Amino acid sequence: MRVHVTTLQGGLVQVRVAAETAEGGTEASAAETTGPNPIAPESKELIWGAGSFLVFLVIMRVFLFPRIKKGMDARYNGIREDFESADSTRSAAKSDVSKYEAEIATVRSEAAARVDKARQTLDQERSSKIAEANARIATKRAAAEAELEAARNAVRDQVAAAVASVTEHTTQLAVGKSPDASVVQKAVQQVMQTGARS
Amino acid sequence: MEALTRIAHASIRVAAELTPAEAKANAAAQMAGLAYGLAAIGPGIGIGMIFGKAIEAMARQPESAGMVRTTMFLGVAFTEALALIGFVAFILLKFA
Amino acid sequence: MFSNQIAVILGESVGRGFSFPPINTILRWKDVVPGINKVVIIAILSALIGTMLFLVASLKDGRKAPKGSRNLAEIIVEFVEKNIIMETMGKSGMGWTPFLLTMFVFIYLCNLPGIIPFIQMPATARMGIPAFMALLVWVVFNATGIKHQGLFGYFKNVLFPPGVPKALYILVTPIELISTLVVRPFSLAVRLFANMLAGHLLLVIFALLTQSLIQAETQRFFLVPIGILPFALLIFLTGFEILVAFLQAYIFTVLTAVYIGGATHPEH
Repeated sequence: MRVHVTTLQGGLVQVRVAAETAEGGTEASAAETTGPNPIAPESKELIWGAGSFLVFLVIMRVFLFPRIKKGMDARYNGIREDFESADSTRSAAKSDVSKYEAEIATVRSEAAARVDKARQTLDQERSSKIAEANARIATKRAAAEAELEAARNAVRDQVAAAVASVTEHTTQLAVGKSPDASVVQKAVQQVMQTGARS
Repeated sequence: MEALTRIAHASIRVAAELTPAEAKANAAAQMAGLAYGLAAIGPGIGIGMIFGKAIEAMARQPESAGMVRTTMFLGVAFTEALALIGFVAFILLKFA
Repeated sequence: MFSNQIAVILGESVGRGFSFPPINTILRWKDVVPGINKVVIIAILSALIGTMLFLVASLKDGRKAPKGSRNLAEIIVEFVEKNIIMETMGKSGMGWTPFLLTMFVFIYLCNLPGIIPFIQMPATARMGIPAFMALLVWVVFNATGIKHQGLFGYFKNVLFPPGVPKALYILVTPIELISTLVVRPFSLAVRLFANMLAGHLLLVIFALLTQSLIQAETQRFFLVPIGILPFALLIFLTGFEILVAFLQAYIFTVLTAVYIGGATHPEH
């Protein structure tokens, strides 16, 4: 037997009597220490948890994971191959395009050369034709000028003859004898030249 | 104020009529709260600093965000362990 | 005990108001069948669900574009390969994919029941599973180190890390010994366990608070509407726990990868 005597509020005295047996000491806090420590691992939970994890691990490692990984790898390799084939197709297409472009360039340069040649021949033709036309015009002009000169000379001769005859006539009328023809002619010519000059 | 004095009187009276085991349990409960409170101060500051620095680093170099995030969680895990040991001490003091 | 006495002295009868039940009634589950309780069932179901998911996924044709369960399984595999292994071990660690994948899936599925209504018990909130996983990781990374560097070389690298001045080994060697061989598995187990237990207790507290406010016997017109607040927080915390469940599984796996990677390729 064990007796607790506690004094409460001055006079009041509380007496507690507890059985002093083996369990008696822990009776006061029995409710909070029933069972073991809440943190201590419980053996059945540890064993079952360990067992289920290890079984899960073995199943995953041996059967399931390799299958999944195989599928993933196969798909990724397929995708990579697709990518590679797409790359090769793209490069082939690129080389085709460059070839095509080179062809286009050669054709274009050829065309440009041809156009240049045509332009040159055209220029040559034009200049030769222009020269021909110029020459023709020059000969025609020369002929016309020669004709004009001849006509002018003829007119001048006629005028000179007429003036000489008039001068001879008037001299005969004034002097009574006809003058020397060569003198008259000389004088007329002199006058006409000075007249033409003035 | 009055409520406080009432609780204080009550606890004095409770303490007066406690058996030694109960007195020990009471002291353990009070210490448990104190222990966890103290244990949470340092890790709180530490985790705040870790996250802040990690955000700075990620904002500065977004391309290394993955590496920073993994390292950040590692640092948080180590820092947090201190607070959790405090929590375990709380449980042990209070309930064991 | 203590709170009940305060309640008695403050003039309230025991059982009314908010009282937190003893923790073992929250955490320790009675056996359904001898030797099998709720946590055990959750652990077994996690392994079963994980197996079923990958079994169904592996039975589909992998050459077609993935959808449904196959897509989910491949997303998890790629997450483990890209975000866990490549970031910590690099390409040489790809052989560890099945181990880390299984570990991630198992821990996540053990965490997840903490937020599923009517189950609401994360199997990792009990120490058994985290302790076993941490022990397994400890064995695995030490075995890997010994296999790759030899017994002598591994312990030489662990205890006498290169690049440290010789005089500092008096300080560094005991720290490294304890941190590698003791603190690593301990912190690994405690981190997972304490995170899930803390989350679970938070949910319990707010659920109990909501219940006690809504079932209040006095001042109902005032207390019942207030009960919406802890309920809203309960919903929010449930969402937060989804994140925590994922994050803890991720961190456990990443740390495992870091330890194994460190044991495979020592620092130079």
